[in-house]
Amino acid sequence: MGVEKKEEILKKLTEAVIDGDEGKSKEGAQEALDNGIKPYEAVINGLAAGMKTVGDRYECKEYFLPDLLLSADAMYAGLNILTPHIKKSDSKSKGKVVLGVVEGDVHDIGKNIVKIMLTASGYEVVDLGRDVPTDKFIDNAEKEGAQVVAMSTLMTPTLMSMKAVEDKLKDTGMKDKVKTIVGGGPVSEDWRAKMGSDAYGRDALEAIDKVKLLMGMITTAVDTMKEELKEEEKKEEKKEQ
Amino acid sequence: MIEMNSYERVMAVLGGKKETIDRLPCMNSASVSTTDFMKTFNASWPAAHKDAEKMAKLGSAAHRVCGLDNVSVPFSMTVEAEILGAVINYHEGAVKWPSITEFSIKDPSDLKFPDDVSKAGTVPVITKAIAILKKEFEGKVPINAYMVPPFTAISSYLVDSISFLKCIRTSPDTIHQYCRDTLDVFVEMATLYRDAGADVITFHEMGASNDNISPQHFNDFVKPYLQEMIKRLNMPIILNICGSAVRIVDKMAECGANAIAVDERTPIKDARAAVDKVKPGFPVIGNLPAFALIHQGPVERIREAVKKGIDDGVDVVASGCDFWLETPTEHIKALVDATAEFGKRSHQKFI
Repeated sequence: MGVEKKEEILKKLTEAVIDGDEGKSKEGAQEALDNGIKPYEAVINGLAAGMKTVGDRYECKEYFLPDLLLSADAMYAGLNILTPHIKKSDSKSKGKVVLGVVEGDVHDIGKNIVKIMLTASGYEVVDLGRDVPTDKFIDNAEKEGAQVVAMSTLMTPTLMSMKAVEDKLKDTGMKDKVKTIVGGGPVSEDWRAKMGSDAYGRDALEAIDKVKLLMGMITTAVDTMKEELKEEEKKEEKKEQ
Repeated sequence: MIEMNSYERVMAVLGGKKETIDRLPCMNSASVSTTDFMKTFNASWPAAHKDAEKMAKLGSAAHRVCGLDNVSVPFSMTVEAEILGAVINYHEGAVKWPSITEFSIKDPSDLKFPDDVSKAGTVPVITKAIAILKKEFEGKVPINAYMVPPFTAISSYLVDSISFLKCIRTSPDTIHQYCRDTLDVFVEMATLYRDAGADVITFHEMGASNDNISPQHFNDFVKPYLQEMIKRLNMPIILNICGSAVRIVDKMAECGANAIAVDERTPIKDARAAVDKVKPGFPVIGNLPAFALIHQGPVERIREAVKKGIDDGVDVVASGCDFWLETPTEHIKALVDATAEFGKRSHQKFI
């Protein structure tokens, strides 16, 4: 396969996402497979590249929610075809995020946008859906070994459900391993500080940046712990000697 | 200048005679409920959603205790959705906002239309509460009743928001059908409120903010229905959009309402400038943060924010949204007192 053909297929995937064209995305994904393009490359340089443009246009208010949602559908249509063919070693997940709309709220647009952008940025996302009970966040964060718990709500009243999750993570001693990020209409930096979450994402794109930071914090924390352990082991060894 | 009462003050602004007022009014045309008021007036939720006496007491508490320049009912954004077929959870035994349990409508044909709007859902409670308020406050304090218009009621409370918003591009006719089919019900509700004694109706169209749809979508799917409703109602209307509305405030001003209201995500200076281009001097209401400022305080910060809002050109100082339920009463007092203090001075400067 020539370089030109490959470029053409990748471009098709990118355009399909930008235009929100599900059919074109499926077609492009199949062509990528048929022509021997690495599925991982088709995702990153095709679909995700398109989603990056969509994200940029959304940020500068050239695109709005309807556009973003249709682009996401197109992205997922392609992903569904390509993902089964991706070798585990090819796709190193950048980290795992457990995500949901907190208990009492069924408005999940914001949550879904964050999911789209996280997926497009290479994170593994465990989507708990909407109206998610406190314990379900805790249980899944533990079971999945997630580094970040992301919570969203559109409604003012359900802000308290966010705090319930945060408090429970603290009470169960999980905050060493798991960081939290919050977002949604009534959520603000003030509220984040008050409830004690680790980060606030004003919008989906800021949320992605913050998740990156949180992932970094956890890696650093784990590294520090490992180093401390090594130090202690060394001390022990010396003592024994 | 002779001191005016709340009714005169607010109605002058809405009537296009803001130069005649003694001082700027301080309003909240969304929910004025707080847990403090619920206790003081024995009008707790959920009872106050279904009992007209309690609703009237709670809706007027912020005026009685703090001097807010309006009374306001109901305390829920789900009244319209309920009468069109949504199942509402009123959270018996707890003070929680009424919420929908699921998006029950998949297609315009799933909508349920009440035989008699005046008896549907909590409409009879609201009209009775308005009548009670009218007896006590007629001509003294403006009675505001608020509603969620078709676009937002349907996109946020009846139909799954995601599939609804996609329809804007994939099936625009469906959106128009939803709005057109339900329009009469909304007009009838508003008419019932008006006839019961409401002086002002506030439309909360937060589903149409720039956070959700584009200015062009607003023109295509929201504005025509608002224009028609407002024209048919022929009474003072406030059009409120919380969420970012910077790109549509001028279009909001062209919907036929008497004033527009925005929250903290739409800066007053920007709103003022954009509105003045299409309708010079048109009243802009807003935009103090309900949680981050009015709930959090402290009093000194509230006073500074009120002063800044007035300096930026707001015509009515208002909370951007429903009062946070745990808002300390003293913060609402501070809001009203600061408006009385700075609103007067600024006005004299203006003259």
